[in-house]
Amino acid sequence: MAAIRTRGLTKEFGDLVAVDDLDLVVEEGEVFGFLGPNGAGKSTTINLLLDFIRPTSGSVEVLGLDAGAEPATIRERVGVLPEGYGFDDPLTGREYLDWAIETRGASDDPDELLSLVGLAGDADRMAKSYSKGMQQRLSLAMALVDDPDMLILDEPTTGLDPNGIQQMRSVIRERAEAGTTVFFSSHILSEVEAVCDRVGVMNEGKLVALDSIEQLRENAGGQATINLECASPPTDLGVETLDGVASTTVEDDTLVVDCLDPSVKVDVVTHAAERTTITDITSETVSLESLFNDLTGGGRDAGEDEQAASGAATDGQEVPQ
Amino acid sequence: MSIRSVATKDFKGARRSRSLWAVATVLGVLTALIGYSFQGYQTTPLESFQQLMRQLVVLVMLLLPIVALVASYMSIAGERESGGIKFLLSVPNTRRDVFLGKLVSRMAIVTVGVVFMFVTAVAGGYARNGVLPLGLVAGVVAMTILYSGTFVSIAVALSAGAAARSRAIAAAFGSYFVLVLLFIVPGLNLSAIIRWVHQTLLGFDRNLDLYNAITYVSPLTAYRQGTNMVFPEALEQRVFQRAQEGGELPAYLAEEVSLLVFAVWLVVPLVLGYLRFKGADLQ
Repeated sequence: MAAIRTRGLTKEFGDLVAVDDLDLVVEEGEVFGFLGPNGAGKSTTINLLLDFIRPTSGSVEVLGLDAGAEPATIRERVGVLPEGYGFDDPLTGREYLDWAIETRGASDDPDELLSLVGLAGDADRMAKSYSKGMQQRLSLAMALVDDPDMLILDEPTTGLDPNGIQQMRSVIRERAEAGTTVFFSSHILSEVEAVCDRVGVMNEGKLVALDSIEQLRENAGGQATINLECASPPTDLGVETLDGVASTTVEDDTLVVDCLDPSVKVDVVTHAAERTTITDITSETVSLESLFNDLTGGGRDAGEDEQAASGAATDGQEVPQ
Repeated sequence: MSIRSVATKDFKGARRSRSLWAVATVLGVLTALIGYSFQGYQTTPLESFQQLMRQLVVLVMLLLPIVALVASYMSIAGERESGGIKFLLSVPNTRRDVFLGKLVSRMAIVTVGVVFMFVTAVAGGYARNGVLPLGLVAGVVAMTILYSGTFVSIAVALSAGAAARSRAIAAAFGSYFVLVLLFIVPGLNLSAIIRWVHQTLLGFDRNLDLYNAITYVSPLTAYRQGTNMVFPEALEQRVFQRAQEGGELPAYLAEEVSLLVFAVWLVVPLVLGYLRFKGADLQ
């Protein structure tokens, strides 16, 4: 049985098609990363999974149950870190957590969960007064209550400091190793890369890629680029005659060589070192970032230079990297 | 039970609300002062106490809808606007649990407020008059709880259909106008408007029973007519116009019908509000 299965899932808001005919299967026990730039339809999809919103057409199944028909049964088995939440009741962090434990009829030790997410010292403050990062930590603690079969985490690392991101990752890994299915969304590729078995990339409401990280990297072609900075302008070195070299260009004192395979880079360096003095070497593999940008057409920033310039202040931190 | 989970969390939050305590204190002091200072003209202590209760009904009739609406208009809309509803629905709760939990909690808050107001007023009245007609007090409190309950019900239902604070405010204000002001502003009340349309515009003969029946649909009229059940005859208020002095009212204008009016206002808005909430996109 699949943990998540959508068939022809479509959600329209007026004229806007937020999710467009999405077929997605996430297997049980998987750690699935749901990627895409802002506005790609990730949160809309998650809100559909959780029955916060209703599909225009198509179906959603979570743990084999219809999302709209049996939301309470699904919520018993799924831990959620939602997007766009608010701690607006005058309750402390511990009271929020106690409430989640009590409502789930669970027997978790609140102190254990609080220290797991790094909130042990702040549990008796009002949750409303927490910073965004601390609220994310509290939300995660609430999602972990009663060791659910699946975790659905919507942009869990938003607002977290590097230490918090580390902690979040190790919690996700730990739970995944214990057999929990994890479905989480992100617009930051490196986060997903570190913990996911498989990723799905959304763009403009459609799933544009669905694969393991290795496979995605491979599909991007094994191209590798090496830059050789030389003492004198590196012309006529004959590097282009080597096997596996796709092209060369010279920029001032720097020789840029595109290789079909990363292993060719060694040959290039050896060949050039025999003929000139190399002062520095830098090497690039095709990054997942550029792959991600290709898949999503550059996200929000593509061809929107004017808008990007004016909207930089508000959009800045959310730009896919 | 999940309704309890939603209600206890809501009630706990309300208990910590300073503004709620402030309002309760002000109202309590006000009613205590009214209770103590009210004195009838050439009346026995008992009559004086009974008149006090009559005065309280008039005060509460205008004031309580505001209290109930203010206490409830953000109950669900607020959770939707702030995102608190994401947590309410991330644990094993259904939308029905959220709706009913909020209703139960706000009903309890307003009911406690009503009881508190009457306790202070009755304490003041008892201190002044030295009598305590418990039956009358219990009857008035019961009718008042029903009356305020209809407004909680209306406000929670409207709140469930509103995604943002601005719309919830508009809905609460609108319902006070339509259900309260439209029945008491001289010259511009529903009865006068209906009469004008019926007689002047359409040219029908005067039909007091028709005008009375239309007026009776309001919880305000129901409260005025309903409280007549618990007051001694001398203090009964004439709510409906009669063709001649001492004329009998038709059965559908009887005092007991007020209970039916309350029941309709308690149930119908809730059903409509819930259906709207059930199908809404919450984000």
